[in-house]
Amino acid sequence: MADKLSIEGTGGLFQIAEPTAKKAPKRRPGFGIGIDLGTTHSLVAIAANAGAPRELADENGALLPSVVSYAGPDIVVGTRALDEQLDHPGKVVSSVKRMMGRGLADIDFAHPYDLVEADDGSGVVRIAVDEQRALTPVEVSAEILKVLKARAERELGGPVDGAVLTVPAYFDDAQRQATKDAGRIAGLNVYRLLAEPTAAALAHGLDRGGQGLYAVYDLGGGTFDISILRLRDGVFQVLATGGDSALGGDDFDRALASHLLAAADISSPSRVQHEAARIAARRAKEALSSADTTTCTVPELKLDGYTLNREAFESLVEPLIKRTLRACKATLRDAGLRAPELDAVVLVGGSTRVPKVRQMVEKTFGKPPLADIDPDKVVAYGAAIQADVLSGSPREGITLLDVVPLSLGLETMGGIVEAIIPRNATIPISARQVFTNYSEQQTGMKIHVVQGERELADDCRSLARFELKGIPRLPPSMARVEVTFQLDADALLTVTARELMTGVKQTVEVKPTYGLSDEEVDRMVMASLDHAGDDFAARNLAEARVELGRVALAVRTAVDETGHLPGILPEAERQQVLAALANADEAMKSVDAKAVTAAREALEAVSEPMARRRMERALHAGMQGKSLHEIETTLADEDTLDQKRGSHSPEQIEQGA
Amino acid sequence: MNLPAPEQAPHNFAMFGLECRYDIEREQLERAYLALSAEHHPDRVAGADTRTQRLAMERSSLVNQAYRTLRDPVRRAEYLVKLGGIDLDSTDPKTGAPHPNQAFLIEMIEQREALEAAKSNGDDAVEDFCDDVEERADTCLSAAVRALSGGDISQAARELVTHRYLARLLEEARA
Repeated sequence: MADKLSIEGTGGLFQIAEPTAKKAPKRRPGFGIGIDLGTTHSLVAIAANAGAPRELADENGALLPSVVSYAGPDIVVGTRALDEQLDHPGKVVSSVKRMMGRGLADIDFAHPYDLVEADDGSGVVRIAVDEQRALTPVEVSAEILKVLKARAERELGGPVDGAVLTVPAYFDDAQRQATKDAGRIAGLNVYRLLAEPTAAALAHGLDRGGQGLYAVYDLGGGTFDISILRLRDGVFQVLATGGDSALGGDDFDRALASHLLAAADISSPSRVQHEAARIAARRAKEALSSADTTTCTVPELKLDGYTLNREAFESLVEPLIKRTLRACKATLRDAGLRAPELDAVVLVGGSTRVPKVRQMVEKTFGKPPLADIDPDKVVAYGAAIQADVLSGSPREGITLLDVVPLSLGLETMGGIVEAIIPRNATIPISARQVFTNYSEQQTGMKIHVVQGERELADDCRSLARFELKGIPRLPPSMARVEVTFQLDADALLTVTARELMTGVKQTVEVKPTYGLSDEEVDRMVMASLDHAGDDFAARNLAEARVELGRVALAVRTAVDETGHLPGILPEAERQQVLAALANADEAMKSVDAKAVTAAREALEAVSEPMARRRMERALHAGMQGKSLHEIETTLADEDTLDQKRGSHSPEQIEQGA
Repeated sequence: MNLPAPEQAPHNFAMFGLECRYDIEREQLERAYLALSAEHHPDRVAGADTRTQRLAMERSSLVNQAYRTLRDPVRRAEYLVKLGGIDLDSTDPKTGAPHPNQAFLIEMIEQREALEAAKSNGDDAVEDFCDDVEERADTCLSAAVRALSGGDISQAARELVTHRYLARLLEEARA
């Protein structure tokens, strides 16, 4: 029996966690800060010693453009970096949030950068800003955080104790990990990653001093998030979260730009015309948020004083807003609530300034949305409040219960995903799963952790692969390895494996090198809706293959073990069985579930007489000199063994039961 | 309230001060859950050493898991069946989920065909289909609850397995 169980990661995905208990450094109440690390703008706020939250500004205001310039000798962040963007598009990095936790293959949107893959084999994407420097998105984000940290230090007159960083509710494990790493690189003690809608709700909830049910509708430039929360007895609990991470204000601009191009009678616009239309559309959108009509003059399109009214704009964006409202309804359903039960709807994100958005949100939820806190700042305010609590200040704390946005699962036989932690589960949470061996020869087990809502592992985001080794040689189903998945309060995953025979335990911290993009998360969720039919067919096929594999293995074992015994398998029949086995191997390659099933049925039919003779033989052999009880026990054991061979899919064990 | 170590996880009902039966006091569950969450959340020990923090994480994981099980009527019924000795997540022939009969499986195939037909007839047809399936699922759950209160665990298990098939069908219909 092996005396050691080891876990081997691939591609440097894992770090073995240090078992030592680290002493916590002493906290300094009132020195905690909240940071909203946004795609286009970032913001830092403090709410020291139970005070009201306020943002920290410099001479250019509070909102720091999330832009980092590597064009000059010094790294420049914010408005000045923005100024350098036109002259050095490849050296001035903006919207880096979209690359956080992602690999090169995931960057499928337009950008002016020279991207390379890290040479350490990790797959993480790097931005080559010049010959010498290829920077990870984490490092670029850290530059933004450093500037915000410096602002806070000036304000506090000393070092920051720690920070709460906000992330979109939809961020997966890889993206959250990347955000936390950026904080560490900037020299921040990251108290906690907080979902943006939760932070916004916290700011509003405290403002109203209330109890109740809240919906947070967050429409940013490129993403849409909806979260339903409940505030009660000092606990803010996320009941459900959902959204569409490829839908935002940018899409409003695009719809309007197409309209302008059509008005100018341009069917195949040049790049310049395209860009001019987009910029004009953005301006018109902003103008129409307060005015009823606006005029567009775009020389590139030969449009001079083209009049656009709000009604026309609204009819263009209405289908897009309807998409967000469908997501709202689905999320309400996930939360088990109906719209009238909500006490308030909170608006977050610059795109919620569009009056039509407010009207349609009001109509859907049946009450006017709250927008009394600036939608660009409310997230940082909430983060600041939580940072103040975590710094140990005497503020009466509110406990924040976030949820994991996407299901975590394992790849099982046939590539099917078995969800082990479902989406919207409150974190922290853990789940255990017991794996058994299916042959005595098996001493290792490959485990593949995925995140997403699709049924097949190939369609989900691969988070980690590792192999359990040193499983003791035991009869099928006797070796048992228990794998525990622990999600912490930041929704970061740790995996622990324990062999139950020996009790040998090992912990791995899952450190994925890159993760899902906003777009890909959305693609996965949207695609899981679009492809439910495909999934069903794929699942049928996978199941048919598992069944055929099981039967073929059993027949092969029977032929090998007992086929040579007299009277068990006549030669003619042996040929038939072998032919059926060969046919089964061939059918395994088929993508038609019916063909796979037919091969299994054929194999079962030709091997049935052999199975019957084996049974009779066992019975006769057993009768000689054995008690009936012994015979029955033997038969029952064989029976159980067969059934266990047939059920080598992992068995789920509910924790806490 | 002190929670025991995760290894000796307590009875989910007892954790929230509830009697072990299907009909629970929702209000008591919610109050007890929020109190336990506030007490054990890792944020409460943000300034402590890593061991204390890990313990808080494990304890709040237990609380969250138990709450998830009891809050949902179906999971609650399944949990009671499990306490009665039948684990619907297991394939063990004796203590695992009972297999549905052939007729029901054939019916499920027919239902899927009906769903495809409904889908080609537009949203209203799908809506009607969903309403029917939902009603049947509700009937199943009610039957399972009746069986549970009568102490017939096997019958409750059979109803809940049927419910799982219907729930899955509904999920496909709504996708």
